[in-house]
Amino acid sequence: MDDLCKSSMKFFSDQQIRYAEILLPHEVQARIQVAVLNFLKVLASPDPAISNITLIKRKSSNSKVSEGILTDVSWIFLSQYFCTRSLTRANAAKAFIRVWKVMEMCFEILIQEKRVTQRELFYKLLCNSPDYFSSQLQVNRTIQDVVALLRCSRYSLGIMASSRGLVAGRILLQEPNQEAVDCSACGSSGYAISGDLKLLESLIMKTDARYIIVVEKHAIFQRLAEDHVFNQIPSILLTAKGYPDIATRFLLHRMSRAFPELPILALVDWNPAGLAILSTYKFGSIGMGLEAYRYACNVKWLGLRGNDLHLIPEQSLAQLKPRDLQIARSLVSSPILQDNYRQELELMMQSGQRAEIEALYFHGYDYLGKYIAKKIVQANYI
Amino acid sequence: MWKCFFSLVSLGLKRRKLLKEHFEHVEAVFSYSVRPHYSFESSESLILIAYAEFTLSILEDLSEGRSPLIFIQRFRIYCTNSDSNWLVMGWLRFFEAGRKFDCINSPNTAHTIPVLVEDVKDLVSVAHYILVVEKESVFQRLANDKFCSKNRCIVITGRGYPDVPTRRFLRLLVHKFCLPVYCLVDCDPYGFDILATYRFGSMHMAYDAKFLRVPQIQWLGVFPSDSENFSLPQQCLLPLTIEDKRRTEAMLQRCYLDQEVLDWRSKLELMLQRGTKFEIEALSVHSLSFLAEVYIPWTRPSRRRCFQKTPPPHQRSSFSHAPLKTPEVPRQCPMSKPYGESPP
Repeated sequence: MDDLCKSSMKFFSDQQIRYAEILLPHEVQARIQVAVLNFLKVLASPDPAISNITLIKRKSSNSKVSEGILTDVSWIFLSQYFCTRSLTRANAAKAFIRVWKVMEMCFEILIQEKRVTQRELFYKLLCNSPDYFSSQLQVNRTIQDVVALLRCSRYSLGIMASSRGLVAGRILLQEPNQEAVDCSACGSSGYAISGDLKLLESLIMKTDARYIIVVEKHAIFQRLAEDHVFNQIPSILLTAKGYPDIATRFLLHRMSRAFPELPILALVDWNPAGLAILSTYKFGSIGMGLEAYRYACNVKWLGLRGNDLHLIPEQSLAQLKPRDLQIARSLVSSPILQDNYRQELELMMQSGQRAEIEALYFHGYDYLGKYIAKKIVQANYI
Repeated sequence: MWKCFFSLVSLGLKRRKLLKEHFEHVEAVFSYSVRPHYSFESSESLILIAYAEFTLSILEDLSEGRSPLIFIQRFRIYCTNSDSNWLVMGWLRFFEAGRKFDCINSPNTAHTIPVLVEDVKDLVSVAHYILVVEKESVFQRLANDKFCSKNRCIVITGRGYPDVPTRRFLRLLVHKFCLPVYCLVDCDPYGFDILATYRFGSMHMAYDAKFLRVPQIQWLGVFPSDSENFSLPQQCLLPLTIEDKRRTEAMLQRCYLDQEVLDWRSKLELMLQRGTKFEIEALSVHSLSFLAEVYIPWTRPSRRRCFQKTPPPHQRSSFSHAPLKTPEVPRQCPMSKPYGESPP
């Protein structure tokens, strides 16, 4: 069944997918060397020219949807449109040079067999070539450019990122040669997911849970973990404290592959940002579209939804801010959102209100556990 | 689930002995072993006993014609909140609630450990000092450079402002092993504030500062003068914003800068005067492992360092303009200033 899913029953849309591979350091070094040699070849040819760098466009206009026909998982991926960085264009010349500088720095780091954070890379570049780099944001964007150029993941370039994710509940995680950590005994902070993808790959997982609950906010996660909700409803709790980073998504994907019969349920606020977080887990993101597509999971929307609004008192509903409306508009225009989510979004926009999960505490401190249990038992998730 | 705090109002200065006994009794009964599942009636009756004793003592004072002197101390029950936001690595091993945390096995991996300080048993360490870092990224850098393999130490990070379990665990380590504690923070107002929180306690929980502070902690780095000593390029120095300047000026007003740590004051003033700040990561411009191989081992005050040989040539050439900062004599003997209270 697995092979059938991966086969070309997806009607050839996969041929347009552009992806970044996870490579070993020496392979990435080889790719960098190839890029340099290509550039030099064009420069040293009888008709010399400075070749442009073609990168995959990381905008929503270049994003396509891959609908899972035999599986329930669909994801966003980046397609074949390119944008170029060229030395000859006046405003974009520095962007062109920035890409080469970052490649040079990554090459050095790979040779030393070390890992750097993006902040350290920023300082090194600032010291090395101060004219081209002025802020951390530029460095981050340029790193994504290099990922797009070399088609290798950010982690393979030697850039480590720490993760904000936490896991709690009925799961045993064991790093190789270490003792197994029981996440139900970790207290209300759970087990912190490390940023090292290689380590996450090698974790051995054992569970007897029946559900995976993904929580948007850290406070709700703490509350649920303290109340030992995962003992009343056998489940695993996961949070990334907001928009999920790659490590959290990776772990969730691993869990969904290792335990395919566990439905993944999301507990987010009733506002466009909550739905955006849900769709990041579910479909992947465009900003890191070359890597994120791999970690899309079939996440279902447990709460808060439109039909729960009667549980929330009137005073707890707040107004939608302009930023929320902006997010809502971009979600509505994305092709991947399914119909029932779109209806919920339209309801949000029409009523102009938003609500947070903490509003449910109006009914009592332990109401949240009961609410989740009721919804799960009724299979009230979409 | 319950964070109860019992405020105990106590006797006057003259009854110091009775006070001490009273506190020990109350501490033993109240503070550490209350779990959320214990019945609430027992602690209620204890509160009533405490109130009765307090009222009696006030009445005694009044009846003898003295004005009642009152100490207010709060015992905050920390143990119900077992989550902690910190990482540790190094040469340490302990048992907590029946589970074994063995960092000695793999000294370079970070362990996030939820710890109830009261449950920690059998604390064993072969480290020579404790290093506290401000940021998790610096911690990861040290882990990546295998710092603990070459140096016998325990590295802890509170991931920013340290929370209560972190500070208590640090206090426990210091009390148990009497090791020197060094703190590595950024050279900016927030870094200094975090250092002050470790050393003196935070402003918000100043009433609990006696049980949460680590007075032996020393400021290892980074100082404003390090930017010249290690010849950092000009671009790495970021300008202080108006908010930063306001914070620094407010911090300079703090009382302990005048009384306890005058050299910290001069460094803070230097930073304000120059109007620049920089982060620890700026030190990696010359080489990625600069922090682990050069900065920490060389700036850690230790008598042995005075007799060690100069750094190898390949490291000297990278900052050939400025001389390497000479190792100082120990800045402050940790045990020289008794702080008057016995640890809980």
